[in-house]
Amino acid sequence: MQSGNSELKNVEKVMVPITPDFNWSVGNYMEKFFDGLKDGKFMGVKCPACGRVYLPPRMICERCFKKMNEWVELPDTGILESFTLASVKVDGDGELRDLQAPQLIGMVKHEGADTCLVARLEELEPGEARVGMKVKAVLEEVPEGVLDILSYYRPYE
Amino acid sequence: MEKKVAVVGYAQTRYEPDSDASREILVLEVAEGALKSAGITRDDVDTVITANNDYLDGRTISNMRLVEPAGAWLKDESKVEMDGAYAALYAMMRILSGDHDVALVIGVGQASVYATYIPGIMTLDPTFDRERGLLNEVSAAALQARAYMNAYGITEEHIAEVSVKNLRNAALNPLALRQMPDLTTDEVLDSRMLYSPVRELNAFPPSDGACGVVLASADKVPGITGNPAWIRGVGFSHDSYLTERPLHKLESLKLAAESAYAMADIADPKEEIGLAEIHENFAHEELMAYEALGFCGQGKGGELMQSGATRIDGELPVNPSGGALSANAACAVGLARITEATMQVRGEAGERQVQGVTTALAHGQTGPCAQENIVFILGGE
Repeated sequence: MQSGNSELKNVEKVMVPITPDFNWSVGNYMEKFFDGLKDGKFMGVKCPACGRVYLPPRMICERCFKKMNEWVELPDTGILESFTLASVKVDGDGELRDLQAPQLIGMVKHEGADTCLVARLEELEPGEARVGMKVKAVLEEVPEGVLDILSYYRPYE
Repeated sequence: MEKKVAVVGYAQTRYEPDSDASREILVLEVAEGALKSAGITRDDVDTVITANNDYLDGRTISNMRLVEPAGAWLKDESKVEMDGAYAALYAMMRILSGDHDVALVIGVGQASVYATYIPGIMTLDPTFDRERGLLNEVSAAALQARAYMNAYGITEEHIAEVSVKNLRNAALNPLALRQMPDLTTDEVLDSRMLYSPVRELNAFPPSDGACGVVLASADKVPGITGNPAWIRGVGFSHDSYLTERPLHKLESLKLAAESAYAMADIADPKEEIGLAEIHENFAHEELMAYEALGFCGQGKGGELMQSGATRIDGELPVNPSGGALSANAACAVGLARITEATMQVRGEAGERQVQGVTTALAHGQTGPCAQENIVFILGGE
């Protein structure tokens, strides 16, 4: 947006010739979660104090201020807690660009879990999505990376 | 908390999509403006607290090089990487420590500098959510909006009416970015769909701008102004990450409000508060805030909106400034709410002045789906 007495807008963009890469460890708990997914299992952790089950697993129950060590295997089915029909996505430049076809995104609470996973919703028309509907995870047989094992959720029953 | 710390000066830049100024010049403008508004000089300032963010500024130690324009050279100086309302909290605490009397507080954000929605993505869980590429601050808000609508039968029309109210109010605020005096509900419902039910006019406009306020101790206030806005109460609370809490209510805002009300001795917020400035990055958040702030019962935010009570001519006007939907320079937004609340209790809000406001509420938030919330109660003499 060019204004009248431009002090700065004659300056071109300056590129810094470095790209910072970060190599986070996902930690033992998320590694166990991903290893479980490879075997088609959803592994969560349970708080020893309040019994709350975290999926994806977390190390500490914030409510009880307790380290959690008990692993529980959860079903691959759950409840759709919320959803959105995406008409856009954030592009590489950080702006919202229109998608060619809208995409459903769902927030799913697995049976027996108290926290949610966010993933794509497929095998249903956008108008068919309902909060409270039962959904089932669809796992990728030959994933591109460990995160792609959980491909999407579909309606169940 | 009675008559211990007051807001005694303020200044804001105009909020623009791409201001013709550097970050430093925006800060200089509000630092000079806030001091002038208080009628004091830099020499009178004991401590300087800024709100800015390494990721938004694209540099670590983002307050570096803000020392000069904030007049903070060799002074007691620090920053928060959060909403500007938390900088006001920090400055208030510095004064309450007894070691400082006058604080300059500045929040700045310049959306034209950063890749608009990338910093929001960087606030997400890096081991799962970030990599999947589905969540960002807008899609997360959409999940929150849907959960809220579903829990209480809130409609897209209720949400659109928040945008209509605020963006029309913004037409009375010469500094606002989005000024839409003739906006209708239908126009909001026809605006570009982003993530259902969140449309362009239900979402904040990324903005450039800065806001500054001057806080002073009770000892110093009389020498500065006869018209202070006293901080009567403040409360803040931090909830779980967005996938680990119920999204249909703002529990941390409720707790923040309860502490602020207790401190300010407010028993019936709807009756005792004359005006509220809410930090609504998305229109539905304002309805959720009505409930959390005790302006109506749980799930009744849509009804309160439709009653007209929160319009500028209603019994409890909310966001006469236009709110965060009308201008949204990250790290300045909550401070802008405090500034508007100050202007209103001091009777300095010009065309949008609400008559007879003695107690006003200002809200700030940080994090996806309003994870952390802070509430200030301000009162005039």
